[in-house]
Amino acid sequence: MTSQTNESKSRLPAGQERRSRRSAGEEGGGGRRTSLSQPRPGPFQYLVLGLLAVVFVYPIWWAVSSSLKPPTDIVRDPLSFSLGSATLDNYRAMFDDVPIGTGFVNTVLVVAVKGAMTMFFCPLAGYAFAKYRFPGKNLLFGVLMLTLMLPTLVLVIPLLLEMSELGWVNTYQALILPGSIDAFSIFWMRQTIAAVPDELLDAGRVDGASEFGIFARIVVPVIRPGIAALGVLTAMNIYNDFVWPVVAVNDESHQTLQVVLSTLAQNVTGNRVGADFATVWGELLAAGSIAMLPVLALFVLLQRHFINGILAGSVKG
Amino acid sequence: MTSGTLTPPRSKGRPPAAPRPVRSRRRLLLAPYLFVAPFYVVFAAFGLYPLVFALQLSFTNWKGAGEARFIGLENYTYLLTSEEFWSSLGNSAVMWLLIVPLQIVGGLAAAVLLANARLRLRGMFRVAFIAPFVTPLVAMAQVWIVAFDTDYGLVNHLLNLVGLPDIDWLQSTAWAKPTLALLFLWKTTGFAIIILLAGLQAVPADVYEAAALDGASRKRQFWSLTLPLVRRSIAFLVVIQTLAVFQMFAEPYVVTQGGPYGSTTTGGLYLYNHITASDLGTGAANSFLLVLLVFALSLLSVRLLRSRDE
Amino acid sequence: MSRPSVPRRSVLRGALGAGTLAVAAGPLAACAPGSSGSEPRKLAGTPGASAKGEITIWNRSGDLFKVFDAAIDAFRKAYPDIKVNHQAVDIDAKLANTLISGTDLPDGSFWDDAKIGGQAEHLYDLTDLIAPYRDKTSAYKLSVNTVGGRIYGVPWDLDPGLLWYREDLLEDAGVDPAGLKTYDDLLAAARSLREKNPDARPIHMEKDPFLGQLWLEMLAGQQGTSLADADGKVRLDSREYRNILGWIRDAVDDDLVTHTEYLKQADLAALENGQQALVPWAVWWSFAPQQLLKKGKGKWRAAPLPAWSPGGARSGAMGGSSFIIPAKAKNPELAWLLYEFLCFKEPGYSAVYGPGEVYPDGLTTSVPSYGPARRPDRPLFEPVAALGGQNLWKVAVNAAETIPPAAPIPAWWAKSVDYLGDNLQRLIEGKMAPDDVIDDSTKKIQRNLVDRA
Repeated sequence: MTSQTNESKSRLPAGQERRSRRSAGEEGGGGRRTSLSQPRPGPFQYLVLGLLAVVFVYPIWWAVSSSLKPPTDIVRDPLSFSLGSATLDNYRAMFDDVPIGTGFVNTVLVVAVKGAMTMFFCPLAGYAFAKYRFPGKNLLFGVLMLTLMLPTLVLVIPLLLEMSELGWVNTYQALILPGSIDAFSIFWMRQTIAAVPDELLDAGRVDGASEFGIFARIVVPVIRPGIAALGVLTAMNIYNDFVWPVVAVNDESHQTLQVVLSTLAQNVTGNRVGADFATVWGELLAAGSIAMLPVLALFVLLQRHFINGILAGSVKG
Repeated sequence: MTSGTLTPPRSKGRPPAAPRPVRSRRRLLLAPYLFVAPFYVVFAAFGLYPLVFALQLSFTNWKGAGEARFIGLENYTYLLTSEEFWSSLGNSAVMWLLIVPLQIVGGLAAAVLLANARLRLRGMFRVAFIAPFVTPLVAMAQVWIVAFDTDYGLVNHLLNLVGLPDIDWLQSTAWAKPTLALLFLWKTTGFAIIILLAGLQAVPADVYEAAALDGASRKRQFWSLTLPLVRRSIAFLVVIQTLAVFQMFAEPYVVTQGGPYGSTTTGGLYLYNHITASDLGTGAANSFLLVLLVFALSLLSVRLLRSRDE
Repeated sequence: MSRPSVPRRSVLRGALGAGTLAVAAGPLAACAPGSSGSEPRKLAGTPGASAKGEITIWNRSGDLFKVFDAAIDAFRKAYPDIKVNHQAVDIDAKLANTLISGTDLPDGSFWDDAKIGGQAEHLYDLTDLIAPYRDKTSAYKLSVNTVGGRIYGVPWDLDPGLLWYREDLLEDAGVDPAGLKTYDDLLAAARSLREKNPDARPIHMEKDPFLGQLWLEMLAGQQGTSLADADGKVRLDSREYRNILGWIRDAVDDDLVTHTEYLKQADLAALENGQQALVPWAVWWSFAPQQLLKKGKGKWRAAPLPAWSPGGARSGAMGGSSFIIPAKAKNPELAWLLYEFLCFKEPGYSAVYGPGEVYPDGLTTSVPSYGPARRPDRPLFEPVAALGGQNLWKVAVNAAETIPPAAPIPAWWAKSVDYLGDNLQRLIEGKMAPDDVIDDSTKKIQRNLVDRA
């Protein structure tokens, strides 16, 4: 990672300068191009993209629609779907079977607290790295970049032991604190904040604002779209996080949604062999759909922030 | 597993200008440290501390209970001479081959199509492509189990409709890896497309215009203009997908539990298996070997993908 | 009785530390897990009928939980001052973690036999308490949970292997079930069945590696051996295992085998359409005709397993669970009292196995491990309608009587499935020879599990 950073320091493709001044919330530059150099896409291109889109969306549609089918139909006729025979039976059975409500509440709690921490501390640290020169900065930044390389799995065992020492097994702290301020988000925010003109900050200083005041009152409003994108991505990541929660929590009252889901899957492959397959599949699909819908809804509502977040993060650098 | 590692491909071209100290020097010096401190506090507590602990563990035979004995490099030599360890890396390597080239080439093709300013429904396509990326992996992995069931799954049902025989997707060593690779591709290719699209759109329009005026063919434009300019995005993708593939864990964990015959026991899952066996010392040693490998692979891919003129 | 689950379950068993990390402490002194290996705790005295208090008992979820719920009601009547919280828990996922972290522990729990040995350190030594009942308890069950001569899991269910067969098909093929005395007879019967019906592949062989290995151990246990001896040494390289593996190869070579996963769709289909007619499996297979099969309902019967040599034992155990009391339990004595009631007292065990709300005919998926509860003439459950009214009780308890004692199940048993279980699959698929199964599995188990234990 570090080498990548260094390597790219000096090179800046022509035009990058110009682009970087656009706000993070803006769409990519396609619209700006003169149509001279762009051929009108033919039916073949539409066909390819259309097919690809179907491949990408169909599994989601299939899962959700199948979850509404009577269990035996999922097995007998996986393709069909009719609104007339739609049923919530799978959902009822699933609700009886696993504490998905508890999982949902826990997930929302963890997303809210952990997400808030990320959205506050990461821009703040990103600001320091983007706009200050201070002794040890390069070293600190190097460490930051190195931590990006650490696979989660390396830390699982020792972190669990640490939680046990602290008496934090089966607590919300254990779910929230590790990884609550992550290197990637800081790096991203640093890139975003670097584009804020120094003149703005200097103006704030002249007005006598404190260093934190400059961050809160000048930087944050300017990079709001970037923070929004960070928030959406972070929320999604925490929502979908799976490895650590599975390990850190063994008590039902603290399980997150993803843990509940994996328990259900294990029940299916393990303990309940011999149970009617169709029913079990129905429950699995119902649980999967329930877990998917909130993120999908969030994504469709905020997709601009989301996609532009990725675009901004990668283009602005 | 890819989520959370969305490092942008470009880093800042120009070092950020430091503010000129206008007011109290002391406060200026303190403020940035305070601002970055929370990260290092959290990292020290929940990253560094366990990491050092893991390093110690890797030189012991600790089983999670009882005495831990210092055994030097035994865990490392055990792993390095273990057929299972190498086959877990081999499995990951095959997965890499199944995933990364296809994702880059396919993703680039889709991105080039999407980058066309005259494309209608662009927003809709983009939403469709990225939708799998936001779905919870555990949920979709379960859908994969159901959809790829040999006897009653959707996919074989479709194959039968066009007259093809059933395939033993998840229970044959030949197909289990491609089936998991498909899940990974399905889940993350949208992300790759967006990254590549971003790279493509960073290529300023006037460059193309100039090229068009010079009479460069579309094909030549792609090879001589587009590709070099998205090289960074590609390098970035290769690095993060390499990281993700070699640490891949949740997909085989949920879908195949590493079977059949260990053919989907990836590097990440093999590591996890030490943990379930309470073999924590070996697990820790395995972690570090995996980190080293992943680190080396990322450096290698960055180097290989660096353009000649750099 | 319920199918022992996929290995991921012992997740992080031991990962939360209750031992000492004797490595150079350095910056991690504080992190080294707490109290050093304490002396095994023994539970000796038990309180009388006037006992008071509250206990939490864990059990698997599902129908069985409801059965126990009813039985625990009987306990509440006998000991009105003891409050029992009976909780349905995914035991495999949670118990190991909980034992080690020591928080929110139950006072007692039922657990698969194969899982207990590895956790002895966190459990009460129950040797003294079980002493008065030892003579009358299945020797097999006593042996499997013994660690260093002490008993950490007290026997619960006994799961004898039986030969399940389709009475109608055997009759059509002119096979007398009573004549199936050896495994060679079984092959001969399978051939006759296939002559009658060319599509028949009469003998079930398990496709799930874990269950397959459990099944292999049943066949080995029948001959008085098992994967590891009392010292934990691998003893695959033996005449007994060669018998079994050679027999499997013969059956495969003759194309007499249906290779499917236990009661999954493909298996059920082959059971219904007459392709499978001979299933050597534990008593808990009775679940299939009662709950899953439709066409085949009423046509299946149970018999003792064939013997490996004329006059040899006609059954071996396949699976089973025991009762454990965590070393950090708050009310271990009361938990013992509950176990004692359910296992050894007539109102207790008849409440578990007898006809009840959940199973009107009684619980037919195992038999008690306690001798006096297992008398052929005193059935606890009724003849099973789905088996054409057969007296399954009698068949099962007679078979249980012949199960030879075994050696303790090694802590690494579940992990060995990656080697032996997988190789067994290769054998059944015709990709590996019996000798190679033995050599390769022995070598790998030795290197990866025994040497590193």
